[in-house]
Amino acid sequence: MAEERGLFIYGIVPSDVEPTPDASGVGDPPGEVTVVRQGRVAALVSEVSLEAALGRPADLTAYEELLDGTAAVAPVLPVRFGTVVTGPDAVADLLDAHGDRFAEALDELEGRFEYIVHGRYEESALVQGVLEDNPAAADLADQVRGRPEEETREQRIRLGEIISQAVELRREAENRELLDLLGPLAVSGLARPPSNELDAVHAAFLVDEDSEDEFVDAVEEFAEQRRGLVRMRLRGPLAPYDFVSAHQLAG
Amino acid sequence: MTVATTGGQAGGALERSGSSSSLADVVETVLDKGVVIDAQVSVAVVGIQLLEINARVVVASVETYLRFAQAVDRLDITPRNQKGLPDLVEGASGAVGAGKAASGLGKTVGAIGGAVRDAVEELGSDRDRERPRRRRRDEERSDG
Repeated sequence: MAEERGLFIYGIVPSDVEPTPDASGVGDPPGEVTVVRQGRVAALVSEVSLEAALGRPADLTAYEELLDGTAAVAPVLPVRFGTVVTGPDAVADLLDAHGDRFAEALDELEGRFEYIVHGRYEESALVQGVLEDNPAAADLADQVRGRPEEETREQRIRLGEIISQAVELRREAENRELLDLLGPLAVSGLARPPSNELDAVHAAFLVDEDSEDEFVDAVEEFAEQRRGLVRMRLRGPLAPYDFVSAHQLAG
Repeated sequence: MTVATTGGQAGGALERSGSSSSLADVVETVLDKGVVIDAQVSVAVVGIQLLEINARVVVASVETYLRFAQAVDRLDITPRNQKGLPDLVEGASGAVGAGKAASGLGKTVGAIGGAVRDAVEELGSDRDRERPRRRRRDEERSDG
């Protein structure tokens, strides 16, 4: 008996986008990525089995690499990971029904990319800084340092809590500073939730190619000012994952 | 996509990369993002089974606190406002940058947990695969 198949939708693109032959999609073995066109817009899709679960690391990577690779050459609206429809006709219907909104959104994204700025505190430099600023924490540090955890559990919890709160305050201030600094150089910017207790900054920006150099220079300067305290990373250009929520179609 | 990966550690203070370089990055970047096309939008949407993937939610807990306290144990220098040992502190703080910071980072990675670490290793081998590309115009954006 033939297994049931569906079409996994990666994203919406202008209809003149062509996948390269080596583009590979989600699934095991990876599906071949093709394009379903309808008017001005098209969808990047690949066949998947409806019986196998998706979401393996390789699936997520294939999804992101396809979308990021596309974003580098053409505007793309990422479609939420895991969206599967019955077949090409369903995709064409979808593009037909919402084509104008998709085309409008794609026009807005022409020549624009997402960048993610992520900074993580170097733990020892951070803790050192907190102890210097906070006499109560420094006191507790003296009480616990070099003594077994069982004997000093209460003090350790209090100390850790002070540090944790200090990190939160610093993170808020850092994020605000980052958004203030980069906001004027970006089309849009928003804070992302921290992904680690040591996160210092985490934000996504939609950047126009005309201001890309200026934007990157500003991030470099921000990183330079925090050398040794925050390990800064800049990822991009990426597909605009954080900037399509306005184009949700229902819900 | 052309991405200039400028030396993160050696030269600049900023590490640059294109697509996500670890599973944690991928999950964080793509999960719960993108245009939502559900049954209300198209009756042809098919529910498929998705492996459970949870982005790490940061919630301060007693474990977090104890971990920070352990970080204090690893500091071998006295805070500057304590004990009046300015010379010693000055001498020691120079060493903080490289050695201690690196060990702090290792700890963070360890805390993410075995499952993710294993997955990340798997991801690493996947990345050797040729990456999908696509082009519309004749080629890639010029990149400084």
